[in-house]
Amino acid sequence: MNIILLSIVILLAIGSLVIKKSVPAIISFILMMFVLGLYYINLDAKMLGLFQIFIYTGGIMVLMLFGVTIIGLEFPHAKSKPLNAIGAFVFFILISLLFLRGVDTLKLVANKNIEDVNLFSSAFSDYVIIFALIASSLLYATVKMSSTLKAKRSR
Amino acid sequence: MFEIEILFAFGLFSLGLYGVSSGRDFLRIFFSLEMLLNAVIMLLAISAHYLGFAQNIALAYMVMILATLEAAVGLLIFAAANKIAKVVSPDELEGAKDE
Repeated sequence: MNIILLSIVILLAIGSLVIKKSVPAIISFILMMFVLGLYYINLDAKMLGLFQIFIYTGGIMVLMLFGVTIIGLEFPHAKSKPLNAIGAFVFFILISLLFLRGVDTLKLVANKNIEDVNLFSSAFSDYVIIFALIASSLLYATVKMSSTLKAKRSR
Repeated sequence: MFEIEILFAFGLFSLGLYGVSSGRDFLRIFFSLEMLLNAVIMLLAISAHYLGFAQNIALAYMVMILATLEAAVGLLIFAAANKIAKVVSPDELEGAKDE
């Protein structure tokens, strides 16, 4: 059941990125979040699922409809960027390999008593490089944004 | 079972990553950001259910609230950019800088 729900989630997510008309894309996105809420309920996190469906999905739906009033009924035409798709796919492969390599350690950590575990060193030390990459990209984005703002101000 | 569900979460995260990096228009960037954060919430919920990290549910609520706020602030920025420079995509915003 979970796998079916998650497959629907992925299909709807792809749909929301691919569909050219804005309203069907938003409906696809909202449905994705709704199915995700059903998945949480199926996962025994009932409160989280209900929160997802009623509050999160509702709030996002209103915000997106506000976006439609600005963008119009069709998304503007834009050139496709296949390199980004390849990059995202490579990221998926890398992160999956990394996870599958460390899944046994993760289960071992999960089975231990929480007091016995030094959570940071045993669960996160393998991912320090990824954290560093994310932190450096955030830093780059901040510097880039400040330089853009400075350029705009000096005009 | 647990591993497959985690891989689905990674798939959703990668889709979000693609959407953000391709950056075609603001609305799709918001979709993609929400996908990224939803993938994180999914990971937290899965780890709480299968691995017994119960505190992750509290983290999931926090991420969810953060995602809603982020969408609200993002759409306000989008509205402001649209009002000031009449643009609907970041690429156009880059062009507007040179004008």
